[in-house]
Amino acid sequence: MLLAAPAIDIDQPFVNAALGLIAFTLVMTVGVMYATWYERKIVARMQYRLGPTRTGPFGLLQPIADTFKLLTKEDLRPATADFVAFELAVFLIFIPALMVFVAVPFTADWFISAIPLSLLYILAVSGLSFIGFLLAGWGSDSKYALLGGMRAAAQLISYEVPLIMAMVGVVMVTGTVDAYQMILYQDTVPLIVWQPLGFMIFLIASIAEVERPPFDIPTGESEVAGGVFIEYSGIRWSMFQLSSYVNMYAFALLGAFVFMGGWEWPFGTDVGWGLQLLLTVVKMSLFIVFYLWVRASFPRLRPDQLMSYAWKVLIPFSLAQIFFNGFIIVYDLPDVAYLISSGLLTVGLGYSAIFIVRRGEPRKPLQMVPARATARKPEPEPAVVAAAEGAAT
Amino acid sequence: MVAEHERSLEVVDIPINMGPQHPSTHGVFRMVLMVDGEKCVDVIPHIGYMHRGGEKLMEAMDFRQGIGYCDRTEYLAQFSAELAYVMAVERLMDVQVPERAEYIRVILTELNRLSSHFMFMGAFGIDSGVFGTSFTYAFPQREYLQELFEEVSGDRLMYAYFRVGGLAWEVTDNFVQRCHEVLKHTQQGIRDIDELLTKNEIFIGRCQGIGAFTAEQAIANGLSGPMLRASGVPWDLRKDEPYSVYDRFNFEIPVGNYGDVYDRYLVRLEEMRQSVSIVEQALEQLPAEGPIVAEKLPRRLRTPPGEVYAKVESPRGEWGVYLVSKGGDKPYRLKMRSPSFCNLSALREMCLNQFLADAVMILGSMDIVLCCVDR
Amino acid sequence: MIGIMRSMALVMKVALTRKPVTIQYPEVHREIPNRDRAFPILIWDEEHDEPFCTGCHACERACPVECMTVVMKDNPKHAAGESKRRKIIDEFWIDYARCMRCNICVEVCNFEAIGMNNTWAGHELSRYDRKDLVMDVEMLLSQSKDGKVDPGLRA
Repeated sequence: MLLAAPAIDIDQPFVNAALGLIAFTLVMTVGVMYATWYERKIVARMQYRLGPTRTGPFGLLQPIADTFKLLTKEDLRPATADFVAFELAVFLIFIPALMVFVAVPFTADWFISAIPLSLLYILAVSGLSFIGFLLAGWGSDSKYALLGGMRAAAQLISYEVPLIMAMVGVVMVTGTVDAYQMILYQDTVPLIVWQPLGFMIFLIASIAEVERPPFDIPTGESEVAGGVFIEYSGIRWSMFQLSSYVNMYAFALLGAFVFMGGWEWPFGTDVGWGLQLLLTVVKMSLFIVFYLWVRASFPRLRPDQLMSYAWKVLIPFSLAQIFFNGFIIVYDLPDVAYLISSGLLTVGLGYSAIFIVRRGEPRKPLQMVPARATARKPEPEPAVVAAAEGAAT
Repeated sequence: MVAEHERSLEVVDIPINMGPQHPSTHGVFRMVLMVDGEKCVDVIPHIGYMHRGGEKLMEAMDFRQGIGYCDRTEYLAQFSAELAYVMAVERLMDVQVPERAEYIRVILTELNRLSSHFMFMGAFGIDSGVFGTSFTYAFPQREYLQELFEEVSGDRLMYAYFRVGGLAWEVTDNFVQRCHEVLKHTQQGIRDIDELLTKNEIFIGRCQGIGAFTAEQAIANGLSGPMLRASGVPWDLRKDEPYSVYDRFNFEIPVGNYGDVYDRYLVRLEEMRQSVSIVEQALEQLPAEGPIVAEKLPRRLRTPPGEVYAKVESPRGEWGVYLVSKGGDKPYRLKMRSPSFCNLSALREMCLNQFLADAVMILGSMDIVLCCVDR
Repeated sequence: MIGIMRSMALVMKVALTRKPVTIQYPEVHREIPNRDRAFPILIWDEEHDEPFCTGCHACERACPVECMTVVMKDNPKHAAGESKRRKIIDEFWIDYARCMRCNICVEVCNFEAIGMNNTWAGHELSRYDRKDLVMDVEMLLSQSKDGKVDPGLRA
């Protein structure tokens, strides 16, 4: 990243970006390794456990041990697998996950490439990974993987829509698709205040996009037993995991700078890069902790519920938001109108969650049959049925 | 002649082989699901991977040796399995069990029901997709129960504590106090599970209306236990045909209205609360002193010729032991009526036209023990 | 929505207010109760400096899985007048891999010569070869000789 920072001033955008990506891949890999560590630690504390403790102090070396284990594992490929699809899928998932970071500003100066349409780029690139899932599902030649791949494709495409719609609302408010400008817009009030509904939709859809519980349907452990990853092992499997964590980081970062003000809010532009980076990391961590928290709390949705939630709830609500935003822009209402309209819609979204999962009329509670009402008097112990001679033979 | 590309457009149901090694088949159970997309159009269960010939083995064991095998058959409700077996022998021998022994049996059996239902709650949560949280909320509390059983019987899993005519040995001195301590933890566990799952909309969405069985269907399929009660049949052997000293306690039987997976979960949750109340009543009524083994039992147990069927309400349903004796110290024929096996027979009917994910939930809601299915 | 919130609140409550229940097993051993049944061992008679066991085969006959083999011999100490036991075990094997820890051998023993090990040593018995789990008389007596086992195992 430092290599790619504008301070070095290599006057070659392509080289700059390439160097940045390489540096970034290394940083990200270590970051993700430790994401697994603190995921395990945090979720463990939510479950009366300690998490890793054996490797180093507080199990800090656990990710390194895991990495060595995964890298030295036998790399298996099913004999009937489609070679090209099987091998290609890994990269088709891994590379887009990393490409997202090209356009993400970490501080005022630290970014790999300043793309004017960065938000558009991020959303477009992050939507690519479903091809990889489909290929992995098809190429593994396993029914679980196929089911997982199909589920992944359906889910990723469906949740792409509300995610982008939520972003459209944000873009309407800020009037820019440049992430940098968007952050500058939030120097006093972060966008979460003006667009709470957009934030909620983003939060839900991003969990679905990174396939974390309760939306971990493609990899649902108790149903398809790993889904698309079922035939992968060793380095390829770890690349899948890596990319899923990288995706999680990416969406956490996206949320941090689109809705939480990135490095700008609340200290403004003029603080040093250290504080700015700290702000970004803290905001990102909040998202990640939330993802972990959700993971520990919820059962998994069913594929059809997942779909209907996207199409029947999230998309109509995000459309309504776009409509209200347009109304406010056209009639030039004060900013508070964003808050009111979006806030009301958020409440509606909370209620709608009930309707989507709870079908039909309210259920009757259990009947409690009291003991004395129907209990018979204890019958005398049944006497021994003396077997007739030879009856038992 | 049909062109190649036309034939390839034919839509087929794909068989998905779930198990014997699968995270959510609760052991070595295998079911072949014919799925049309995500919908199950046929379910073919395969059992027998755990078959050890337990019933036949027990025919070669005398009435004391067989008790250890009951534990191994039903490893989550060991006391219920032991109780059915010793009750069968006691009826055949016409042994009167001392009252204190009966109370201790009831207390332990009910605590065992709690521990078994904790296991169900944890495993069912995982089937529904909770990342281990339900498990880890149920298990620390279950561990207290387990520790109590270990203190009393000496083993954490294979208790072998009931004997024909009473108990193997006296309970620990602080048994009553320990039970009260354990019940506190148990109640906390029930509260935690209740709060984590019962009202959670996603959980409700996953459970309600899935695998619904009417009362008629349930009876026709020979269901028993919470599965039957969830379908609206108030049938509980503890109340309808009270054995041991169950007629002395005041407790309620939760009965469901819809017979779906959610009702089964609720019935079990409520049953846990009722079990706590039964244990509390039993602890109050427990005679402080008294023998724990019937008097005048011969050193080597011999039954008169005859046959007997003893049944208890195990956490999974009606656990029955049918015992034929031709005299002597070993059973001539022994048959266990295992509720897991009978409940499992309804799997196909419940899973038809449900989603693949629901089939997992339905199987989870049956709370089967594979050792008990295959014996 | 409220139910979802309640689940999340509970999870956070557990994370913040309740302690982990983990016991760091190999370093920390949970206290096991006095009645704990691990595997059967033979008990050493300190008074006469010989095992209690007379090799009467009672446990061998009662064992449901037939994991025991007992060989009896004349007690040399009895001939020397040091002990009342006429017979004593010569060899005693218990196959721990077969034993199902049902406690029946302890119940049928007339001399209280066999007991269930109630220490952690009775549980931590992993071996590389299942043949190593066939315990001979020396191994069965060693724990009791060292005084590591409370012989009053059963009330």
